[in-house]
Amino acid sequence: MSETKVIETPNLKRRQVLAGATGVVGAVGAAFVAVPFVGYWKPSERAQAAGAPANADVSQMQPGQMITVNWRGMPVWVVRRTPAMLEQLTELDDVVRDPMSNNSVQPDYAKNLTRSIKPEYLVVVGICTHLGCSPLYRPAPNSPDMAAGWRGGFFCPCHGSSFDLAGRVFRSVPAPSNLDVPIHSYLSETVIRIGEEVEEGDLA
Amino acid sequence: MSELQTTKTNEPGGLLKWVDDRYPLIDTWNKHVAQYYAPKNFNFWYFFGSFALLTLVIMIVSGIWLTMSYKPDAELAFNSVEYIMRDVEWGWLIRYIHTTGASAFFIVIYLHMTRALLYGSYKEPRELVWLIGMLIFVVLMAEAFFGYMLPWGQMSYWGAQVIIGLFSTIPFVGPELAVWIRGDFIISDATLNRFFALHVIALPLVLVILVFMHIVALHKVGSNNPDGIDIKKHKDENGVPLDGIAFHPYYTVKDSFGAVLFLIFFAVIVFYAPDGGGHFIEAPNFEPADPLKTPDHIAPVWYFTPFYAILRAVPEPFLGVVAMGLSIAVLFAMPWLDRCKVRSIRYRGNSYKILLAILFISFIVLGVLGALPSTPLYTKLAQVFTILYFAFFIILPFTSAHEKTKPVPERVTA
Amino acid sequence: MIKKSIRNWALVSLTLMFGATLNVHAAGGYNIEFERVNNDVRDKESLQRGAVHFVNYCMACHSAELNRYNRVARDLGWTDDEVIAKLTYNTLTPVDMMVTTMEPGVSEDLFGIQAPDLSLMSRLKGNDYIYTFIRGYYQQEDGSWNNSVLEGTSMPNVLEGVRRHSTEAEFDQFTTDLVNFMDYIGEPSKVQRWDLGWKVIAFLLVLLLLTYLLKKEYWRDIKK
Repeated sequence: MSETKVIETPNLKRRQVLAGATGVVGAVGAAFVAVPFVGYWKPSERAQAAGAPANADVSQMQPGQMITVNWRGMPVWVVRRTPAMLEQLTELDDVVRDPMSNNSVQPDYAKNLTRSIKPEYLVVVGICTHLGCSPLYRPAPNSPDMAAGWRGGFFCPCHGSSFDLAGRVFRSVPAPSNLDVPIHSYLSETVIRIGEEVEEGDLA
Repeated sequence: MSELQTTKTNEPGGLLKWVDDRYPLIDTWNKHVAQYYAPKNFNFWYFFGSFALLTLVIMIVSGIWLTMSYKPDAELAFNSVEYIMRDVEWGWLIRYIHTTGASAFFIVIYLHMTRALLYGSYKEPRELVWLIGMLIFVVLMAEAFFGYMLPWGQMSYWGAQVIIGLFSTIPFVGPELAVWIRGDFIISDATLNRFFALHVIALPLVLVILVFMHIVALHKVGSNNPDGIDIKKHKDENGVPLDGIAFHPYYTVKDSFGAVLFLIFFAVIVFYAPDGGGHFIEAPNFEPADPLKTPDHIAPVWYFTPFYAILRAVPEPFLGVVAMGLSIAVLFAMPWLDRCKVRSIRYRGNSYKILLAILFISFIVLGVLGALPSTPLYTKLAQVFTILYFAFFIILPFTSAHEKTKPVPERVTA
Repeated sequence: MIKKSIRNWALVSLTLMFGATLNVHAAGGYNIEFERVNNDVRDKESLQRGAVHFVNYCMACHSAELNRYNRVARDLGWTDDEVIAKLTYNTLTPVDMMVTTMEPGVSEDLFGIQAPDLSLMSRLKGNDYIYTFIRGYYQQEDGSWNNSVLEGTSMPNVLEGVRRHSTEAEFDQFTTDLVNFMDYIGEPSKVQRWDLGWKVIAFLLVLLLLTYLLKKEYWRDIKK
């Protein structure tokens, strides 16, 4: 009766190998299982649809006019700048903090003086880089509701940050960097695709 | 065991020691795993307990994830489920895991209970293990019922309507009780919202606690086995039962094998038959709940159908509810209804074998009848098998007292 | 012991399967036998044709509002631009849902009921039901149309023209494609599910073999 238990010396090596192999394959399995559970947290199709590229039709825009396009729940501004406005930008290099946008967010094709693909059209995310308020559009120099010496641009009512008509932040305001330029492209002469870089001619 | 399993006498060090000085980590591990000696003759029936635990984990994890995208709102619930199925990455997989898990849970639990009936696992000294287990079963049924309502399809809605309607048959307080349960005069947003709360937190919490107690109670008295004999009667010089083997590593490796086998069956359903032939996910539930239109044929999900058949078999509604309640309640009394000293069916007399066969057949036939539309013939059949079902519990105390049993071996057989 | 286990497993499986088969009951009391559609949701060309038919013939009144055009495009092998061109005549964007252009309320006025959303119709009624239904229109003595599946249905026989101008084989193909697309929108992830399933099972079989060997190895300690 007492002979029941051990009858042969176990092959410890084989045990270790098998246990190790099972452990490794089991861990791989656990990693596979994690994939759907992690993926579940990604933006859903619905969220992505809400964040899909948006089109801005600029054919009806008057010089100096701004339109707002909703993209991923954010206001994106498109401003049709007049030649006078563009000219003025060059004079502001000394009073803006980051004239060449070295420390600001924009695609490479908008890292230039006008911060745009075509000088005429500015496309920026209308959210102040300070704390996320949406600035006001005050394009005219010396706007009556602005402080004296207003040069035309955007003014954030929350903490007084101001930006010029290329979205460049002026010196000595709280906002640290220029307004963000989203990725965008021209579907045609008059349609701007916001949130996607499409070669001109690739039909929408 | 002695040679192989000699308890490691070397003291733990480092972090383990730090923890162990403050928490009975090693003691707990030894008591419940490494030095829990289970009979060495477990057969396949003994897999279902660990399968049930695995299913519980699967349900809790997949359920938590579903909760992240589900909306417990009568206006939004139905579409939020389809949102999970279509728009959420991998949502379809996690939902199918949860729906398949619901049915798997009952398959596993029914087989686990069958095992107990075959080998007398409910008998002294395991009465509490059985009672706690029965409580788990009842809570699980409630949990499944609440969960079934959440997709807010036609079957969800009308199934809940019928079940809550049962309460209104209770004399005097019934109708008001039903209104109180619903929180409204019909099943509505208020009902959905409270059932959601019960489904995702209240009952799972109770389930986990009960499962914990089930295992603690089991480890206090030790596992039964297919021979139904007490392995603690014969111990070696170290106090280890001669017919016992350490749960770890022997049953951990065996249960790992079983778990993978179970997952294969599970995966086949999830990936190739998530509807379960219309039994795991019912077609009418793909239509949003409509309080103004009852589906042609309402039947509960398959795991409730035996009890539902008993309900319908009794012509008087309230008595039907009583009969249904009794059909579950009577199971609690098994440890005292069965008066035979021999546990395992292997050594019991023919009377028990015949009675048990009647019970199983009645249960299955009632299950089939409960899913079918009621016709006079089916109702008659349901009545016959309801009587047979209860006959088991009525006759058992008499026959089991003087059953002609076979001699029980001293030591476990292979 | 192993043989016995296998026998027992087989017994349990059989019992379960037997129970399940017994449980299957007639499809809700329809008095006719449904035609079998034999569609294939892997057949993208069929789905593409079906999608176009669906938009042209069903979506005048019905929506499939749980489906987004870009998902349909992805699953059917179209680009976003193609799906918009083919299914909306360039009137919508890829992220729009498949919603009918019929104004709310018009359906009630015309047919007495709101045309149901068709996203889940294949799961609710089954493909064969839909196939038989859309092919089941017959002309009554007074010249009006009725349907052999759903007597007195409010839905007009929208496929009348298609049937009249096509051969029987063409009409079979047309209706099969249409049902195929409805099968697809009932569960867009179905093909993904099928394609993933066998890989998961194959992986588990490897793990099964390993755990089996491990169990056998350890259990050599235990004498019967």
